[in-house]
Amino acid sequence: MEKVKRILLLLVILFAIVASGADVNIVKDGVGAGKTGIDLSGLRVAGGADSKMFLATLQKDLVMSGWFTIDPAGSGTLVTAGKCEAAANSLTVYCHVSSRGHRKVYLNKTFRGVTKDARMLAHKVADEIVFSVKGVRGIASTRIAMIGSHSGRKEVYLCDADGGNLVRLTNKGSICMSPNWGAKAGKLVYTSFHGGFPDVYVYDFKSRRQTKVAGYPGMNMGADMSPDSKRIILALSKDGNPDLYVKYLKNGALVRQTKTPHAAEASPSWSPDGRRFVFVSDKSGSPQLYLQGKTRWKPRRLTYQGNENVAPDWGANNMIVYSSRRNGRYQICIIDPDGKQKRQITNEYVDHEDPSWAPDGRHIVYARTERYRSTLYILDIENDAPVRLMTRSGDWFSPAWSSR
Amino acid sequence: MVKKYQQIMPAVVCMCVLMVLCSGCWSTKPGENDEILSPDSIPEDMPLGARQDYGRAVTRGECDSQPVYFGFDSYQVADSELAKLAVIASFMNRNRDTLLVVEGNCDERGSNEYNISLGEHRALAVRLLLVRNGVASSRIQTRSFGEELPADPGHNERAWRFNRRANFALYRKR
Repeated sequence: MEKVKRILLLLVILFAIVASGADVNIVKDGVGAGKTGIDLSGLRVAGGADSKMFLATLQKDLVMSGWFTIDPAGSGTLVTAGKCEAAANSLTVYCHVSSRGHRKVYLNKTFRGVTKDARMLAHKVADEIVFSVKGVRGIASTRIAMIGSHSGRKEVYLCDADGGNLVRLTNKGSICMSPNWGAKAGKLVYTSFHGGFPDVYVYDFKSRRQTKVAGYPGMNMGADMSPDSKRIILALSKDGNPDLYVKYLKNGALVRQTKTPHAAEASPSWSPDGRRFVFVSDKSGSPQLYLQGKTRWKPRRLTYQGNENVAPDWGANNMIVYSSRRNGRYQICIIDPDGKQKRQITNEYVDHEDPSWAPDGRHIVYARTERYRSTLYILDIENDAPVRLMTRSGDWFSPAWSSR
Repeated sequence: MVKKYQQIMPAVVCMCVLMVLCSGCWSTKPGENDEILSPDSIPEDMPLGARQDYGRAVTRGECDSQPVYFGFDSYQVADSELAKLAVIASFMNRNRDTLLVVEGNCDERGSNEYNISLGEHRALAVRLLLVRNGVASSRIQTRSFGEELPADPGHNERAWRFNRRANFALYRKR
């Protein structure tokens, strides 16, 4: 009997090894496991529209975190007590979260803000609830940058992680592309054609200043800012061929990273420690992902499956999300830097492009294109069906999720 | 028993090696499996010149330039397109006060960023041929629009064929 058990165990392990190497489709529909029901009926709301907006935002944030379901009054594992009061210009929220029967108290805190920031306050409370109950940092207070054609031109827009508070950042009436965030979401780097050529700009949220950081002859494109915000990596063609370069922002020094006279490089993305980067090169004859570290000129090919693998984003969870063309459509896939763990996340017969990791390493924002119209969706790699980020008119693409 | 095997082993290995070698000799006629290698020239870095000095645009009446078209995901300039380059090269060689921006464009397939790189490659390929036709490299800039400015807004093979192109924007020196 013992022997049979051992053989069975061996078979299971063998199967697991084989399965992990294969491309396993993990798309699941419906409500995922591991969620906790929370009853928000104990949060009383007073003071009109701002308080109501606070509560609606909080509800949506908790659902979007992936960790909670909002349960009807009297049910759910967790109960809340407290109030949200708006007076003059200020908003005060007292929030108490405990298990039903009050055996364990998770959160007991008062939050204050101004009424116009009701949404921001709700994001803050949502992140506190996620952290106090689940012990992980939430993403409700993060933002998403994107390119939108709402005005007829392609400009950089920003919104909260729940799709609210949409604002337009650039207004040059030109073409903007490829926004990417620096560390701590204080800076945004993007490409704009408003000077006639594709040049790279950095926007500083503190000083509200836009600075041109790369305007070399030819192409300046697809920059990503290092986690320490000191360097950008980008594609330049100034030496006669599109290759990757690292530019040091402080002294302007430029270090060439690739040298491929017969291939084009694009879409670099830094690793979380800023020591390596992943990028797209077509030197094999089709666009594929490559990794490169400190040793220059020696990239390692990462993807072999799919005739096009593009738009990589290296997440804080050390996994790389990218768009892979499979059976004629782009699908979201993830791969680890060793190329051992691979997963195809989407499988619907539409295009899924430009994926970007949320800092929680669980959510991905991407552009979904069907019949030549693009909208942004958020998916949760653990469970749940994708959710549309917002429903404004126009096309939306190239989303980039901020760090915290 | 074991000892006997050990004695025979070297002989067996030798025979195997011989068989492999001989089979190789007999099955291959000279030249049949030879790979033809043509030296692949690695172009020198040909840095782009400065962007200033671009004055008023040259009108269609002065130089009637036609777009150069490309194959899917390719930046090879086909022989059929070379005559279009000759028109530009001869105009620029006759009008020494002109400057050129070669604009690379792609069809909508592929990611936006990859297409910017591909479009740039197309523009650079055209630039290289113009330089070989006697135009100074310092007179030619490149600019890639990727898939952003399609000539034909359709979503079919016909539109894509017209969108995979390099345009010529000629300017007078300031």
